Amino acid sequence: MVITIVRHDSWRLQIKHGAASAPILLPPTQFSTEAYYFDWVGFGTLIGLEFPMIRQLLITVPVALASVILGSMGAYFFYMQMERRPWVSNVGFSIISLATFLPAQTLTVPLIELTSSLGIYQTYWGGLAFAYFIFYLPMSALLMSIFLPVVPNYLIESARLDGARDWSIFWHVIFPLILPGFLSTLIFVFLMVWQDFFTPLIIATRPSLYMLPVAARQYVGGYAILYNRSFAAGVITSLVPLIVFAFLGRYFIRGLAALGGGAKGV
Amino acid sequence: MSKQSLIMAIPTLFFGGLIVFLLIWNFILSLENWSLFNPTPKFTGPQSYLYLFTQNFFYTSAQHTLLFTVGLVAIGDILGLLLAALLYFLPSNAQRAVYLSIFIYPIAIPPTATALVWLWLFNPQIGVDWLLAKLSLPVIPWFATPLNTQLALVLVEVWAYTGLAVLFYLASFLSVDKSIIEAARLDGASSFNLLFRVLLPNSMNGFIISTALLFLFSLRIFDIPFIMSGSATSPTLMTLVTYIYYLYAYSEYFSAAAALATLVAIIAAIVIIPYALLGLKRWVFRR
Repeated sequence: MVITIVRHDSWRLQIKHGAASAPILLPPTQFSTEAYYFDWVGFGTLIGLEFPMIRQLLITVPVALASVILGSMGAYFFYMQMERRPWVSNVGFSIISLATFLPAQTLTVPLIELTSSLGIYQTYWGGLAFAYFIFYLPMSALLMSIFLPVVPNYLIESARLDGARDWSIFWHVIFPLILPGFLSTLIFVFLMVWQDFFTPLIIATRPSLYMLPVAARQYVGGYAILYNRSFAAGVITSLVPLIVFAFLGRYFIRGLAALGGGAKGV
Repeated sequence: MSKQSLIMAIPTLFFGGLIVFLLIWNFILSLENWSLFNPTPKFTGPQSYLYLFTQNFFYTSAQHTLLFTVGLVAIGDILGLLLAALLYFLPSNAQRAVYLSIFIYPIAIPPTATALVWLWLFNPQIGVDWLLAKLSLPVIPWFATPLNTQLALVLVEVWAYTGLAVLFYLASFLSVDKSIIEAARLDGASSFNLLFRVLLPNSMNGFIISTALLFLFSLRIFDIPFIMSGSATSPTLMTLVTYIYYLYAYSEYFSAAAALATLVAIIAAIVIIPYALLGLKRWVFRR
């Protein structure tokens, strides 16, 4: 109901300011950056993509970094438990796989309930980052536990014989060796958080809190006919993934291949 | 084992445990009768499940999920196999890497962008049909009937996720022992025979991985149908996961949403846990 009103309203404004809009269903005649300006700044009730973009960067980078660092520590724990207590590592492995592959929509009701009872519904650093951690920290742990076994066991054993504790074994022996795996996981998780549409859709529903994919949707839904604007929104949304994939695509592919386990040849 | 590694694992254990906790909570909520009109829920047993089974949307969304999943798994597996074979027979590694990244690329871009590009391509006047009409080929009425729309969505899914299958088939082809391939080549096997007689029987891993992942990615597909059909209320592209959101946000029958979520989670877990323990773990830790 609200959406139709909003759509109708901006449509009317649009016709009134007819000079600013592209003709409907006509091929483009001239080059113009007007659509980018329109999407970036916003118009009427449409939220511009400027702040969602900044928000997305401010949240995605720390969330991805923190979840990969913390997840790799968890992966180290499961790896250490594998020989001594296999059941711990089996249960842990099942849970982190479940968290990685489970459709996020299955947790809609309890997730909203949990965040609202903690008073962090409709907030960034509380609610949204928390919800991202629920899905992406186990995902990082899964990917890292796939990359961890490249470290030869005798290195860990000899470090332990020399009296190193787990913390220093992890940071001084294992971490330098799994740096490529760490980077792959980081790139993979970063892109997955960036393109996550559902979590912000249910957690940050207030227009002043829109994240980039949700904000971009305004230009797709209501303006499906104004192709320049909806494409400008698409370009702005996929700009960062585009740059990341162009320069670090190798790592993304390796991270994806790791989800299949046996894939080591690529 | 020292306590230090346990302390280091606390964040992972906490958030992993939280998933299990939320799933159990979900199950408990599904046994109540909590909705917008009934803010103080009581335990009612399987009532919300029975409600689901009376809903037409439940059956249509299940049908759509089945269609999308079977379509993606079947087409994605076959296409992925053929494309991986093409990449495998490429002479240089650099070329292979370039083509592989082209196939993987759709997974990396946000589904919002995917959906809007395909909305344009499916436009009857200025999309693919414009090109077909220019070439005086028969135009395809993409969104003319519900079935066409659903098949169009399968096409988008195939475009978006076939890269997964290509990657995993290619990886298992590359891990086939080179000496077997040399021997087959010396015996005069053609590329076709090499693919179907030598490579394919030796890449069961690739088949299991890509089938499982295509199934899981297709089961969780939400954003593309959501954006292409405008919202979660359109019955044409409604899938089981969209229907969960619909029950929550539009019907506001929260217990029914939880009941459907429990069913979907069970379907997913039936695939995920054996895949993780029997497949992934064994392949990963085989040293």
